[in-house]
Amino acid sequence: MKVSKKWLEQYAPIPMDLAAYQHEMIMRGTSVEGIEDMASQVQNVIVGRILSVTPHGDSDHLLICQVDVGKKTLQIVTGATNVSAGDLVPVAVDGAELPGGKQIREGKLRGVVSQGMLCSGPELGVPVDLYPSVGEEGILLFAEDYPLGADVRPILGIDDQVIDFEILANRPDCQCVWGVARETAAAMGAEFRKPHITVDTVPGKIEDFVRIRVEDDTLCPRYVGRVVTNVRIAPSPLWMRAALHAAGVRSINNVVDITNYVMLETGHPMHAFDLSQVRDGAIVVRRARPGETLRTLDGKDRALTPEMLVIADNDRATGVAGVMGGEESEIAEGTRTLLFECAAFDRTSVRVTSRVLGLRTESSSRFEKGVSPATAREAMDRACQLIRLLDAGDVIEGVYDNYPKPIELPWIAASVRRISRRAGVDIPGEEMMRILKALHFDVKLKGDDLHAKAPAFRQDVEMEADLCEEVLRFHGYEHLQPTTLRGQSTGGGKSPRIHARDKIKRVLTAMGYYEAISFSFVSPKIIEKLRLAGDDPRLNQLKLLNPLGEDTGVMRASLAPSMLGMLALNFSRGNDRAALFEVAPVFDTSARKPGELPNENWTLCVGGYGAAMDFYQLRDVLTELLRQFGVACRIVVGGQPYHHPGRSATLMAGDLPIATLGEVHPEVCDAFELPRRPLLAELNVELLFALERAVDKVAPLPRFPAVTRDLALVMDEQTPVGQVVEAIAEAGTSLLERVEVFDVYRGAQVGEGKKSVAFSLVFRHAERTLGDGDIGPVFEGIVRVCEERFGAMMRG
Amino acid sequence: MNIQENIDHLLEHLQADLCEVVDSQTLEALRLRVLGRKGEITTLMRVLGQVPPEERPAIGQLINDAREKAAGWLDTLAMRIAVHERTEALARETIDVTQPMWERRLGNLHPINLALDEILDVFTGMGFEAVEGPEVELDLYNFELLNLPKNHPSRDAQDTFYIEENIVLRTHTSPVQARTMLERKPPIRIVCPGRVYRADEFDATHSPVFHQLEGLMIDEDVTMGDLKGTLDAFAKRLYDPDIATRFRPSFFPFTEPSAEVDLTCVSCRGQGCRVCKGTGWIEVLGAGMVNPKVLELCGIDSQKYSGFAFGMGLDRIALLRYGVQDLRLMFEGDMRFLRQFR
Repeated sequence: MKVSKKWLEQYAPIPMDLAAYQHEMIMRGTSVEGIEDMASQVQNVIVGRILSVTPHGDSDHLLICQVDVGKKTLQIVTGATNVSAGDLVPVAVDGAELPGGKQIREGKLRGVVSQGMLCSGPELGVPVDLYPSVGEEGILLFAEDYPLGADVRPILGIDDQVIDFEILANRPDCQCVWGVARETAAAMGAEFRKPHITVDTVPGKIEDFVRIRVEDDTLCPRYVGRVVTNVRIAPSPLWMRAALHAAGVRSINNVVDITNYVMLETGHPMHAFDLSQVRDGAIVVRRARPGETLRTLDGKDRALTPEMLVIADNDRATGVAGVMGGEESEIAEGTRTLLFECAAFDRTSVRVTSRVLGLRTESSSRFEKGVSPATAREAMDRACQLIRLLDAGDVIEGVYDNYPKPIELPWIAASVRRISRRAGVDIPGEEMMRILKALHFDVKLKGDDLHAKAPAFRQDVEMEADLCEEVLRFHGYEHLQPTTLRGQSTGGGKSPRIHARDKIKRVLTAMGYYEAISFSFVSPKIIEKLRLAGDDPRLNQLKLLNPLGEDTGVMRASLAPSMLGMLALNFSRGNDRAALFEVAPVFDTSARKPGELPNENWTLCVGGYGAAMDFYQLRDVLTELLRQFGVACRIVVGGQPYHHPGRSATLMAGDLPIATLGEVHPEVCDAFELPRRPLLAELNVELLFALERAVDKVAPLPRFPAVTRDLALVMDEQTPVGQVVEAIAEAGTSLLERVEVFDVYRGAQVGEGKKSVAFSLVFRHAERTLGDGDIGPVFEGIVRVCEERFGAMMRG
Repeated sequence: MNIQENIDHLLEHLQADLCEVVDSQTLEALRLRVLGRKGEITTLMRVLGQVPPEERPAIGQLINDAREKAAGWLDTLAMRIAVHERTEALARETIDVTQPMWERRLGNLHPINLALDEILDVFTGMGFEAVEGPEVELDLYNFELLNLPKNHPSRDAQDTFYIEENIVLRTHTSPVQARTMLERKPPIRIVCPGRVYRADEFDATHSPVFHQLEGLMIDEDVTMGDLKGTLDAFAKRLYDPDIATRFRPSFFPFTEPSAEVDLTCVSCRGQGCRVCKGTGWIEVLGAGMVNPKVLELCGIDSQKYSGFAFGMGLDRIALLRYGVQDLRLMFEGDMRFLRQFR
């Protein structure tokens, strides 16, 4: 919220420089986002009178002006066409500065000396509504006489600073000049100088002009109306235009400006009706009727519902209460009699209405945040006072004020000791009382008992904790003393799940993979690139009602698309290899009923491409990970639909698939624009956690030596070596400690379609040293099994 | 020639020959020639039989002395040659240690999780337990129990993604706090790390997906000073003892009083720089005393217990810590970015 410093200082002093003020306000809870010094942006621009205008010999569009700036006469070349001798204009002299850091220097234009520049309104940061002149294009012409050489800034209303406040959501009462002035005064230890409000009136009853009827005082707890006759529409005075300009509001005319000025000053949105355009002189505040429609000020027809509050005449709605007025009764040049409305509307109702209609206005956003009914009459009278001050009309004595249930804020019973305990700072009761009184609370203090009642404009103070905050922020958060935690100690530490996930990450990083994080929502279409079967549950995706865009429309049911996307990004950027993993939940909504949460199944996804990466490397990573969790697994041929059918596998923990891995299917590679043979694996982390087995007992180290025998078997190319190993392990009895493959040979010596696999068999007995006689039969048994089951022959 | 002369000649000859020896093989040959079973000294010993018995001890002594002298010379030289030959052998085995071969590197954690790990270390050390909850969450836990009723304007600031009317993508990790309060009895000390969502456009400083860590402590007589003490200790442990905290009044629906907590700018140590926009402070945390309404809504007696809560954005902490200029890098998985961390 932008506020003119001059305006603010009418009500509260700022006896320090603005940087110090900014810091002080931040520490008291009213954040100052920035300070814009309008005055310093315009320097050395003075009033000058044009003495003569002559053509430039060398240019069709340039003119040479002689300009009297008081102490001397300057020659200035200009391209403007709207100046003539006698005009009073702003002159930027040598060394002048204009908004945007523009510097003016004496120089030559097409060979002619120019000692400055004649300025337009926009060049000085002065829009036409702040200083009405010739429009945006030409040089600004002063309407009145000013001393030659005078500083133009006070004349144009830009000799001010603009303070930009950021108001917290619980303090709608601070969304106005009076609000920040109250906080400023309390922070500066000064009095809030509230204006004395009186209204000069002419006799008259309001009922003679308008009949106002509030039908729903729940949604409209207060409605104040006053009538102004003999309205004289005219421009506002400069001080008002300047104050509005600083706040970023355009000046329209005196009446509209007053409604805006009062809104900015008091926080109360106001509305002005041209009474001649109000049919039957009736204003009804009621809920909209079913099927009712309304054309709003922006020219759109809006469908209304009975949840919405409208301003209506006897027949139909003319405006949406607190959101937007009607077109017909707008203030215009010819308005002679007007009605000011200053009302309070229910914040939830305004919020919902504005949402449903898609209409957000300054008024609606203020009502949503909360406007106190208690101060509506004061704001109305301030507006009428300004009408008189600007001589814009005559205010009728009679007032309509429907306020059936005046807000009575409760006394809050609090304890000085408890407030101090909560804060952790000892604050004497008298100090609390002083602070609360400076914030306009009513306070009673008796020993430890503190009773406080918030001022009517505060709707956020309900309980002792709120008083604690008020007291603490003015006592000073800087006085908080750090203390160490006391009381019963707690165990602390990471939850078992976080621990287990850390372990997964430790294994993966040790294997050379880098952790990545990708968005949890993806395009609903991306899953279609995975070649999943039509009944795959992963096609059931959890949709967002209001996604940022189509690309982020569903919560992912698989990490694979995200991983493939990241691999593709690496590839497209010329990275010759990638080795990534991500651990994150996937969202399973297949069994979800409305109102229920989806299952969030944590999953590990590993992906990579490039040198030194192949199926076996990835398989070893996964089997090592399982081994680290004490989970035994079996390798089964074939993985996911997005895998290469001949180069993929599923790891089975008992009967349960725990991981799938393999090369990515070429079609999927094409769909994601991936290089050849990227690898991808997914592992069910939930199952891994469920099956995790700790090391419960370490085996004693062997006391007798092992005996190693090598075995080379020639078998068909198609024979799965993994199954042969399993068969050997089984046939090896308890004597076979270990079996490893150390060579696979293919070539002429073993024949077409065959391979020779060399196994190293390690035998050991726990109680004695083994001899040939022990091993021989077992070894023969192994060879026999391999021959019978796989047709494998010992290599000669 | 008498024996004495023989000995002298033998030793002289040996000395000359030793000078010629260059490797252990020739040396061994020489040792054999002189000291071997059929060597020169042994031959002399055999001659001893022909010497008159009364001269034998003296001459035997002469021969023995010569043997020891020769053996000494041979041993000394053998040692020198062994050292020399070892050195030569090592020199022959020299490899080019600068020649690049294959690279074998550990991977590493994502920078956000590196930062999280350090932060968790600090808080778990103070007795806080790290707990988690679902990312798709009921409105009840994400909002209502935290004093954010429906149609409350404070919800606007949260820019919520909805799944259904009452199901949202959690906008903070606070629902984990609500769930914990409902499940447990005080004393409670927890921190809740996790992924959260807000409908922000994705650019250099904003992301619709980001990470938070929130903390909650509830016990009898917990004060705002305890909050200050906890966050002070956190800042000093995470960075160093020169880092201070600054509390500024603020507003959150779930806390009362509330504070924005700034840390001394880690980049300029409080001098004022581009990172802190000249203020010397960086805004890192939101915190406050748990609103008694929240305690009551979550089934905790607000007369008996009080508590504090705080929250921080992990993405921002990681950005600041590693000087990352663009938040989008965090979510791309570009190896060139990820390989820079350790």
